[in-house]
Amino acid sequence: MIKKTITAAAVTFVALGAVAFAHSGASGIYKERMDAMAAMGKVVKDLSAIMRGEADYDAAKIQEGARLIQSHAGEAMTLQFPEGTTDKPSEARVEIWSDWDTFSELAEQLKMNAEGLEKAASNGLAMGGQTSGSMMGTENSTMMGGQSGMMSGDQTMMSAEQLAAMPADGVFNAVAQTCSACHTKFRLEKK
Amino acid sequence: MKKLLLLAVVALTSAGAVTAAVFAWPISRTVELSTTVGDANRGAYLARMAGCIACHTNAEEGGAPLAGGLALPTQFGTFYSPNLTTDKQYGIGAWTIEDFSRAVRQGISPEAEPYYPAFPYPFYTKLSDQDIADLWAAFQTVAPVSEPSKPQEMIFPFNFRDGLKLWRAAFLKTNGFEPDPSQSDVWNRGKYIVEGPAHCGACHTPRNFAGARQAELKMHGAQGLPDGGKSPPITSNALKDKNWTVSNLKYALKTGILPDGDAFGGSMGEVVRDGTSFLSDDDLTAIATYLLERSE
Repeated sequence: MIKKTITAAAVTFVALGAVAFAHSGASGIYKERMDAMAAMGKVVKDLSAIMRGEADYDAAKIQEGARLIQSHAGEAMTLQFPEGTTDKPSEARVEIWSDWDTFSELAEQLKMNAEGLEKAASNGLAMGGQTSGSMMGTENSTMMGGQSGMMSGDQTMMSAEQLAAMPADGVFNAVAQTCSACHTKFRLEKK
Repeated sequence: MKKLLLLAVVALTSAGAVTAAVFAWPISRTVELSTTVGDANRGAYLARMAGCIACHTNAEEGGAPLAGGLALPTQFGTFYSPNLTTDKQYGIGAWTIEDFSRAVRQGISPEAEPYYPAFPYPFYTKLSDQDIADLWAAFQTVAPVSEPSKPQEMIFPFNFRDGLKLWRAAFLKTNGFEPDPSQSDVWNRGKYIVEGPAHCGACHTPRNFAGARQAELKMHGAQGLPDGGKSPPITSNALKDKNWTVSNLKYALKTGILPDGDAFGGSMGEVVRDGTSFLSDDDLTAIATYLLERSE
């Protein structure tokens, strides 16, 4: 009887483990980096509501969020992508390793932009809803002017000090652009 | 047997006649535009909105702006965007504004050849004379690049360009933009951008066997896009179901950030990076307003 119970418990335990595994679908380095992305996504969700003016402005919350992003950016991020780690359910594209320089530059850029955001947290929002940071302004309206940088995703890096002088939503846009630039190049989209 | 032969001859002859007729079918209309003065800044803004710069620049491989060469793989073959710089031999430097207008709004080359609709001229038919003049003025500011355009690599039978005349007759509507007087200016501006230059339906409306958009499924989302992916539906109901609002939709088009904190990747990431992130706050409001308020 006891033996049976133990067996049943063991079976249940293993089955539960399998369910848990299938549910998260990830373990080890995969789980680590997916959790890191999810944590940043949560911050971006909360802060973007502030930047849109839908949530109350909260400098402390912006600083805290900026620090969380920093903690997952730069080398902390690139170390989570050992070469060839593309097993399901990973959404990592092999281009990460064939174009490692771009990937690691984007990870560094994210860190620098998040540092800028921390410093700019008390600057408030830009007036009038024109929330563009200088990297995405409409002032570059000539066909040639500054566009090739924008288009190759290889944006002019601004120093954390330059970013620190900008309205918080402008700096947050720079963070957001970095997320999207990296996803566009290096993330598999669900088919 | 004799009858059969006769039938075959008749069929072949008429097929030949149809082919010849299609070949000889003139499709262009004349335009006169030389008197309209263009604004190059406004034109460059429009070139962003319309994706001219995104699609005609091979940024990934370090290509010069608007020198073309970007590959667009489709089920009909692989398209390469042509050189649109002011180079007289390889670009559009020898064109007149009338050539340009016919190319952009009618999809017909200066040699009277129809363009493949991978070039989204069925949307650009909504552009006004002033838009064309502005774009033309902007294209004059582009430095010449002396590189030939890559030939299109179409699979049989799509490599026969004259077949496109039949496609045009069946599917192309070349009416310009008509505002709806019962709607606000903002809504109408959004409709113009979405259905005209921004050509959202090119990816978000499913296409039929011939690659033409299915009008009754406008903005319902599509599969088998050039990158192999699919696009979500962006009808007003679908957007509202996903908790999109004017505020968070225009924000997503500006920054790439979705309401759940994710950031666009894939082809929408490119659309934001190379296109909508450059648009004015008013235009983003117009796009979001129209998409959320249009009747299905």
